[in-house]
Amino acid sequence: MRAAGAIACQVWRELYRRKDIYVLFILLGALLLTLVSGDIFGVAGAGRYVLEAGLLLAWAFSLILLIATTARQLPTEEERGTIYPLLAKPLTRAEYLLGKWFGCWAAIWAATALFYLLSAGVVWGQGGAVGLPELLQAFLLHGLLLAWLGAATLALSTRCSTAATMALAWIGLAVSGLVAPAVPTVVAQAPAVSRELLLALYYALPHAALFDLRVRAVHQWGAAPAGAIALTAAYGLCWTLFFLLLAWLGYRRKRFKPTT
Amino acid sequence: MSKRADAAPTAALGALLVEALRVTYRLPGGRGGTVPALRGISLTLPPNRILGLLGPNGAGKTTLIQTLLGFVKPSAGTVQIFGAAAGSRAARARLGYLPELPLFYPYLTGRELLDFNGRLFGLAPRVRRARAADLLERVGLTPAADRRLAAYSRGMLQRIGLAQALINNPDLVILDEPTSGLDPLGRLEVRRLISDLKTDGKTILFSSHELSEVELVCDQVAILSAGRLLRHGNPTDWQQPGESLEQLFVREIQADRAGNAA
Repeated sequence: MRAAGAIACQVWRELYRRKDIYVLFILLGALLLTLVSGDIFGVAGAGRYVLEAGLLLAWAFSLILLIATTARQLPTEEERGTIYPLLAKPLTRAEYLLGKWFGCWAAIWAATALFYLLSAGVVWGQGGAVGLPELLQAFLLHGLLLAWLGAATLALSTRCSTAATMALAWIGLAVSGLVAPAVPTVVAQAPAVSRELLLALYYALPHAALFDLRVRAVHQWGAAPAGAIALTAAYGLCWTLFFLLLAWLGYRRKRFKPTT
Repeated sequence: MSKRADAAPTAALGALLVEALRVTYRLPGGRGGTVPALRGISLTLPPNRILGLLGPNGAGKTTLIQTLLGFVKPSAGTVQIFGAAAGSRAARARLGYLPELPLFYPYLTGRELLDFNGRLFGLAPRVRRARAADLLERVGLTPAADRRLAAYSRGMLQRIGLAQALINNPDLVILDEPTSGLDPLGRLEVRRLISDLKTDGKTILFSSHELSEVELVCDQVAILSAGRLLRHGNPTDWQQPGESLEQLFVREIQADRAGNAA
């Protein structure tokens, strides 16, 4: 596990030296300040829409960062040839994968915390109200979404190039977040055989929408029941473990391209 | 002592013991075709020796090195490093490896790269710091220690690569083309470093196309051709009077090719 920690720290270092996070942080700040500079707080309760915009951007930026960062980890190591001296060390492939996943996830979740703080800070600074328990719950489930999505992206990258991994991860996320929630509506009108298939698909897919508590946080509907949060967290952890297992199965015997 | 490649290795455990090693690759496309990369290689390397691995392109040098490191599984035969199976944690703990054309993480500094590699071996922070400082001194990179690797020249990358291969104070050091891309001064430094490693009691295996380099530092050479081991031992045992290692190498390869063609 110590070796996995070293890999994770190195991923963290890479990410914070590439400056992507700072660029997105500044962009988020600039967009939010532009929004509040229009005196929309003259309208009662309009601050919530600034928070909504902030959280929407936090989601978009965190997903962009996560998919881009995780998708390039394994293929880049192979292209650069750094995988060879790395795996010549007493480091198992499982530790290597775990370190890569944890490093990406922890770094992006930390960056997401900054995005949330900035969004909430701008609203607070302008006298708007932010429900802290809802915001914390939204942040927690956001982190769990990043966990399983990062693991899924890593699993894809064990067999695909960076570009292919990114494309597949975005398609998967779109299916999980946009198509899956619409399945029950389609099921009601589908013929019996298709209905079974659609329901099987519905339960087989991870549901990204379950991890999205933005609306609840923006409109301060109060904290969700702890049991529901715990169940969703367990659901997210199960998917994370499943995708990490897939990544390991895809990587444990992978042969890199040697030249004779 | 020289021996023909088809002779069985001695039973005594060396730093490196390779017995009847075969590696076969499947051809891409999944139609069941295979290509033999290594065909029954057997060799031993006693501790505190320097073995030069020679061969034309496609001879199997990199495959052999990758098998020693555990990246490639043998189709048949065994490979042991100080008695442990190649690729095992015990074997890798005693290994240092410098790949050909090292392109290390450009966002790390030289010192950070060594620290990172030290962490992978589970070295304590104080030990890592001391070793990194010592190795940076040995490879002449102390002034550039805190510069990002993106700003390193080809020769500097080669030297930091050597330093990372030595961070765990390994018993067996495997160097893949350690002098490629270096200027004459850089080559001299690497040669000196390899000789120093031998003085420190290390066993070294390196592959190279620079036969003059090999001749200068190696106790033994192994000549590979088309996945077979043609010669293994002290080259002076087979060299004709006045013959250089390069001439010997060309003679062996040509004889092998002529034999295959016949």
